[in-house]
Amino acid sequence: MVAIIHKRSWRDFDWILALLAIGIVLFGTVQIRNAQPTETYWVKQLIGLSLGLVAMLAIAFTDYRRLLNLAPIFYVFGLVLLVLVLFPGIGLKINGQRAWIRVGGLGQFQPSEFVKVTTAMMLARYFGKNRIEVLTIKEMIVGGLILALPIGLILLEPDVGSVLTYMPILAVVLFLSAIRLRLVIASAILAIVLIPAAYMMGVKTGAVKAYQQERINVILDPENADRRGIGYHTWQSILTVGEGGLIGSKASVEYSQSGLKFLPEPHTDFIYAVTAENTGFAGCVMVLLAYVILLSRLITGARRASDRMGMLFIMSFVGGLTFQIFINIGMALGISPVIGVPLPLMSAGLASLVATFIAIGFAISVQLRRFVN
Amino acid sequence: MRFIQVLVIALLGLLSIRLYVLQVVRGDRYAEIAVNQRRRRLPIPAPRGMIFDREGRVIVDSRPTYNVILTREDVKGKDLTSLIEPLSQGLDVDKDILREYFEMVKTMPAFESIKVKENASPGDISWVESHNLEFPELRVEQQPQRRYPDNGVLAHVVGYVGEISPEQLQKQAYKEKGLKPGDIIGLSGIEQTYDDYLRGKDGYREVVVDSRGRIQDEIDTIPPIPGRDLVTTIDLDLQLAAEEQLHNSVTQRGVLIAADPNNGEILALASAPTFDPNLFSQRITTKEGRAEYVKLLNDPETPLINRAIQSRQPPGSTWKIPMAIAGLKQGAITLEHSNLVCGGGIQVGNKFTRCMKQHGVPDIKTAITQSCDGYFYRLGLKMGIDGIVQMVDEFDLNKRTGIDLPNEIMNYTPSREFKRKMQPRDPDWRDIDTVYASFGQVYDIITPISLLRTIAAVSVDGHMYIPHVLKEVRAFGTPGTPDYKAAVTFQPLDPSRPNPKIIPIPEAIDKTVVQGMWQVVNAGGTGARIKMDGFDIAGKTGTAQVVGLGKDTGKNKDHAWFVSYAPAFKPEIAMVALIENSGFGGTNAAPAVRGVYDAYYRKTRHEEPPGAVKQQIAKDDTDKKKETPEKKKTAAVTAAGQQTARNNR
Repeated sequence: MVAIIHKRSWRDFDWILALLAIGIVLFGTVQIRNAQPTETYWVKQLIGLSLGLVAMLAIAFTDYRRLLNLAPIFYVFGLVLLVLVLFPGIGLKINGQRAWIRVGGLGQFQPSEFVKVTTAMMLARYFGKNRIEVLTIKEMIVGGLILALPIGLILLEPDVGSVLTYMPILAVVLFLSAIRLRLVIASAILAIVLIPAAYMMGVKTGAVKAYQQERINVILDPENADRRGIGYHTWQSILTVGEGGLIGSKASVEYSQSGLKFLPEPHTDFIYAVTAENTGFAGCVMVLLAYVILLSRLITGARRASDRMGMLFIMSFVGGLTFQIFINIGMALGISPVIGVPLPLMSAGLASLVATFIAIGFAISVQLRRFVN
Repeated sequence: MRFIQVLVIALLGLLSIRLYVLQVVRGDRYAEIAVNQRRRRLPIPAPRGMIFDREGRVIVDSRPTYNVILTREDVKGKDLTSLIEPLSQGLDVDKDILREYFEMVKTMPAFESIKVKENASPGDISWVESHNLEFPELRVEQQPQRRYPDNGVLAHVVGYVGEISPEQLQKQAYKEKGLKPGDIIGLSGIEQTYDDYLRGKDGYREVVVDSRGRIQDEIDTIPPIPGRDLVTTIDLDLQLAAEEQLHNSVTQRGVLIAADPNNGEILALASAPTFDPNLFSQRITTKEGRAEYVKLLNDPETPLINRAIQSRQPPGSTWKIPMAIAGLKQGAITLEHSNLVCGGGIQVGNKFTRCMKQHGVPDIKTAITQSCDGYFYRLGLKMGIDGIVQMVDEFDLNKRTGIDLPNEIMNYTPSREFKRKMQPRDPDWRDIDTVYASFGQVYDIITPISLLRTIAAVSVDGHMYIPHVLKEVRAFGTPGTPDYKAAVTFQPLDPSRPNPKIIPIPEAIDKTVVQGMWQVVNAGGTGARIKMDGFDIAGKTGTAQVVGLGKDTGKNKDHAWFVSYAPAFKPEIAMVALIENSGFGGTNAAPAVRGVYDAYYRKTRHEEPPGAVKQQIAKDDTDKKKETPEKKKTAAVTAAGQQTARNNR
């Protein structure tokens, strides 16, 4: 029996998904090395990749249902980590945010990246029961609370960028849990109409401060924003991307935008800009295509899932991933504001990398057990 | 789920469109900006060419100095006022000056760097180096600094250099030369005229800098092309003698020019009072330097003016030389019958214009020798205004001489139009005007250089050379190589002007006038006191009326002229001197000229010139006493005729 499962496991294992993810990481590692040739970030990224692969395999061959049943324990454990990181002796303060825990030899990792997975697990478990009727108010409130706890803790760090990436997780879960479509459409329309209207009102009444307006203007018109002050990151990133041209810049790595430190945070937040500079439009589109395939594989996996829980978990992961990719790349391309959101699988960062592979492991596990019920 | 999948593809599709815009559509533009922000060109100033005298002695050179500069790129948006305190302490610069610089900077283009301190000491340089981390925007740059002779020697000829002004930068001519703010260019004198030769071309180091402006690598070095050396026509020995003569003159104000009549080369050109050109090349950016400049500008004695080419004076009796030539040429008088009545003056209408003495009925030579005004009143009337205008035109007196120094002014010369402009209430040209125009006052107001050119032309049979100070621009490089540049000699700045312009003067006429001038010095004429045995000086004295007569005893005394050349029948050197407000030409200007002739004589004849200068001065004193009562008498008489007839004896 074990042998049969084992054999089938290898056959049904989503090789495309796994190999695609590994491919993106390896490609990203090259870019990290381009971004910081004198630092060892790329080595750490390779270590992170091996750790991530171990975690992925371990989880892929574990029954996800057993893991999801333990979701509350993981969830609480995650919250504990988020509390711990707030203590000055344990948490590491970088750029004003106490969001990292030091790990000997590997640098530091960010609990909020892990907690994303445990929160998604908790949500999947809570909303995962088979259902016919639409969501009740109570269910929505509980879902909101599950999300609110980690978000509240992360806000204490404070790390607004991370918080934002939690939102789509709940949104997707609610959306797929037969929330009234009318509610979705209504809120979408409301958002489209109200946000700009509120902004205009704010500008007129002075409720939106000048520096806040400036932030928005950076995105609306990066070329004419204060290129040396608040618009610096965006402007430099646009230049870096632009310099890549069709097939990549001719400038050597040392004299690139990142090498000369014109582009800030090149190995994390702006890794995509580095990629753009080195590989041009061709490389950038390839990366986007890789992400599209990766996400599509995940969605296919979710569709084939044998139960709601598995489906919800994969889809909330897809939601979080898509959002992060869009915000991070959008930031590099000057169409979304600069918030510290890493590009999944590419930005240097242990926690983000391992957490992503854990989620991928989950997805594979869900797929492997699609016929077992 | 399908909805989510579509959403995923749509979002990432949106990103790829944006990518296309940034990388393919605008890629080149962004790449250019990106490359520019990490490349910087650090200029390597080209050493400016040296200036030599005709014997190869150094007049002007440059020495290396160091400036501390602030790279603007790195401080954009930074509050510069926070730098004032540490910089003024560390580099010992005045806080107000820094504040002023930083204020100025706001209106300047961003790529400009600011000079924080010029002439940085070794201490300043090491301070900058040791504070590199604190102030990475500070840099030390080498800049050659111009060094001019002490005591303002030759200041008006060599001129000076300075930073190009914003107004000049607006001009097309300067833009075409690729000049940029902060460049040092010639602003006056030879430095200005021959700036293109002297300046050279700055080289640069193209470097890669990081986001803080720290140099990472040097990718290219274009060495500067040094400016070319100039050899001037100036003879420093004569120049120093000329400056000394002016310095020792009564008012210490005036001009003395010596030139070679055979080619127009200026051998000496002194204008007093003078100024120190080092002010402009070294101190103009300091507080003290600016105060010094303002003082020069406001000085009533106008030390910045090159009196040789930028001051206009009535030539007085020196005007009689071209008059004599023209009168003979035009046939108003002939060599055979050149006698005209002196009459002690002339009555025109109700005005009597006096001559200083009774000269009887002199011939032309005597009239020149004795400087008989009565003779020339009548000669002028015979020539008529048209004859005088023709003379003016022939001797180029209505044009600039074309000397290769900037800002030469134009003469005022008699003409019907000039009178109309000058006296709109009485616009018609009358005989009395012709009388005035014929002896070098009222309508005749000319620059010393144009007078010298006229007399020099008479000395060499009517060959009017364009006066110039450039002997040659030295050759540059090795012959045969592509960089080689051959030597350049003087060419008229206006290529349409002939050099020389030849005035046809019949030999007999020229000889007669020359003899008249020879007699002025050598046969008891008005310049007799500077006679040098064995070195025939020919010349003419003159006195330029400054204000209405009767006021001429104090500081507004008449200007004294002496224009001359030597030797009279084989000219080697021509000279003019004007001593301002000193009185009679023969008394005050002629001895100054003589002093320079002495220097020339010593240099070329290798022996002491005959006739000691001290004797001359002693004689002068007695002469003055003799003249004074007569002068006053004259003044009283002619005062009635308003601005008129006044001449030296």
